[in-house]
Amino acid sequence: MFERFTSSAREVVKTALREAGELRHQYVGTEHLLLGVLGQSSGAAATVLAEADLSPDFVRAEVVRRVGCGTDQLGEQEADALSVIGIDLDAVRAKVEGSFGEGVLDQPHGGRPGGRLPFTPRAKKALELALREGKQLGHHQLGSEHVLLGLIREADGIAGQILASKARLRDLRERLLAELDKAA
Amino acid sequence: MTEATDLAEDAGSKDPRVGLRAVRALRTLLEKLEAIQVTNARNQDWSWQEIAEALGVSKQAVHQKHAGGRRLRKGR
Repeated sequence: MFERFTSSAREVVKTALREAGELRHQYVGTEHLLLGVLGQSSGAAATVLAEADLSPDFVRAEVVRRVGCGTDQLGEQEADALSVIGIDLDAVRAKVEGSFGEGVLDQPHGGRPGGRLPFTPRAKKALELALREGKQLGHHQLGSEHVLLGLIREADGIAGQILASKARLRDLRERLLAELDKAA
Repeated sequence: MTEATDLAEDAGSKDPRVGLRAVRALRTLLEKLEAIQVTNARNQDWSWQEIAEALGVSKQAVHQKHAGGRRLRKGR
């Protein structure tokens, strides 16, 4: 699927993976793709999103509010919680770090060490829709703006919901198409 | 002290929040330990089959969950 992606679309996917990792989510969803699009500082998608007041910070906060962030951290709260059932996290930590090195319990993605995060069905669908949008527009190469068109089409996804909280999806789509027209 | 510590002191509490929080933390700890141990086993040239047997799960399950991990390669 990725062979028709321009560097900007590839950058979107890369940023999406990074955002998912930083939020400690175990998957890449439409919300991370949206953050990926927002990672682009220029282009039609960036322009339209900025106009609609959809900043990276706003979207990230909305994502956390709607789906939370992952819990693969073992901090003070977890230590307290474990002590309730008689587990001394500091003792476990000392033993494990003794064998495997300091900080070994603090590495991200506990369950999938370095593994590639899977795309959710909706995220895959959004990327397919992005390809279809590109084709319909007669564009051979796929950019971040097509990814955004795909996210708009996949309206029930978290990204679609967040977009719809700030603007009508139909308006966003029309603005985006107008910007693309201007650029062409 | 923190609220969580106060809760921890009340170990006899039947408050579901306390117990569920403990389960969640334990699951996080379990996932981390599993990742560390699987990585270690792979570094010691254990096959996925051997790891799966030791963990009591299917080879597919353990491979799907852990393959692609950062296996320490010598000379890199």
